[in-house]
Amino acid sequence: MDSIEQLIKALTEDETKLRPAPHPFMQSLKWIVAAAAYLAISLVFFGLRPDIMQATENKWFIVELVTLFGIFVATSVSASLLAFPDLHQKRITAFAPIPVLVLFLVVIFLAWSADNPSALLPEHTYECTYCIIMVSLLPAIWTFYSLRKFASIHYRLAGGLALLSASSIGALWLRLYEANDSIIHVVEWHYLPMLVVGFIGLWLGDIILKW
Amino acid sequence: MAKITKSLETLMRQALDGDKCAYSDLLRETAHFLRPFLQQKLSSRNDVDDLLQEILLSIHKARHTYNDLRPYKPWAYAIAKFRLLDYLRTRYADHLRFAIEISEVENSLYGCVTEPRISYESINGEIFKLSEKQALILQMMHQEGYTTKEVAGKIGMTETAVNVAAHRAYKALKRQLEE
Repeated sequence: MDSIEQLIKALTEDETKLRPAPHPFMQSLKWIVAAAAYLAISLVFFGLRPDIMQATENKWFIVELVTLFGIFVATSVSASLLAFPDLHQKRITAFAPIPVLVLFLVVIFLAWSADNPSALLPEHTYECTYCIIMVSLLPAIWTFYSLRKFASIHYRLAGGLALLSASSIGALWLRLYEANDSIIHVVEWHYLPMLVVGFIGLWLGDIILKW
Repeated sequence: MAKITKSLETLMRQALDGDKCAYSDLLRETAHFLRPFLQQKLSSRNDVDDLLQEILLSIHKARHTYNDLRPYKPWAYAIAKFRLLDYLRTRYADHLRFAIEISEVENSLYGCVTEPRISYESINGEIFKLSEKQALILQMMHQEGYTTKEVAGKIGMTETAVNVAAHRAYKALKRQLEE
């Protein structure tokens, strides 16, 4: 008991006025606004796909973009909740990415079914994955840096969702930049690598976010 | 320790405002309600103390992730469970790391380390010098493997009576073997 009393005394002496961490919704809103600004700047810098007007006439393209943005929002909110030891006592909201990811899979499946006759496969392949990773790098670093200031007890999951959130920004940017409608190519070189990046986040979370 | 009348949420709010006294009370109260929780999970008192210290340190590090708009205890328990799992994981990982494969030491093991010096068979003759009932009880318990309850049922005695008879039989046997 003495050692506990000594520790309490030492910790009390260390105590100073401390600003509480922001609410997770405010934190995720900050991430979303910053990522949206980053996306807008990237699109201004690199330009929109030349056939953007034509592409927006395809309803599946719009639905795909909306659900992809939904993944970004849901993963941001969930990662910020997971940054708190008690998930800010909003456990159910932390599961938000699951229904959005399921919806996204359904949308991709329907877009695939509607792709008849199939759009031509572009010649390039891994370059798309590379571009997504490059564009996602900055948001990923920022999100991890922010998460480290909290105290996540679900650090693997938080890391995975943070990288999924960052890579969804990269995927959004590429869909708006690259003139390509081949759903097979998009699944193979955009979305599957996005998921792989998410899995890498589980491992990075273990290394970077453990406290 | 003075009785704390303020809620834990109030104490934490005051602590975050820099009130050292409130913080000290809060940590003391936290240790008070976490100790029984840890005692249920760990058998050693030293382990409980070590882990409790780790949890208090973690609470100190993570205190900025709490605000008084939500209950304090679920927040503190989340950290406590996290540290407990971490502690058990490390401990069992260490046990596995330092465990020795039986194949590595089987050559240095003695053949019959558990062989008893005296077996039922080796004192069979002495047992039959006991009364008929005592011999029967020992035979059923030690040769045929019946439990006291089963022996009692089979020979129509109470369980206590079988125990008493067995105890007397052991004493008598001991006397005979010593002579």
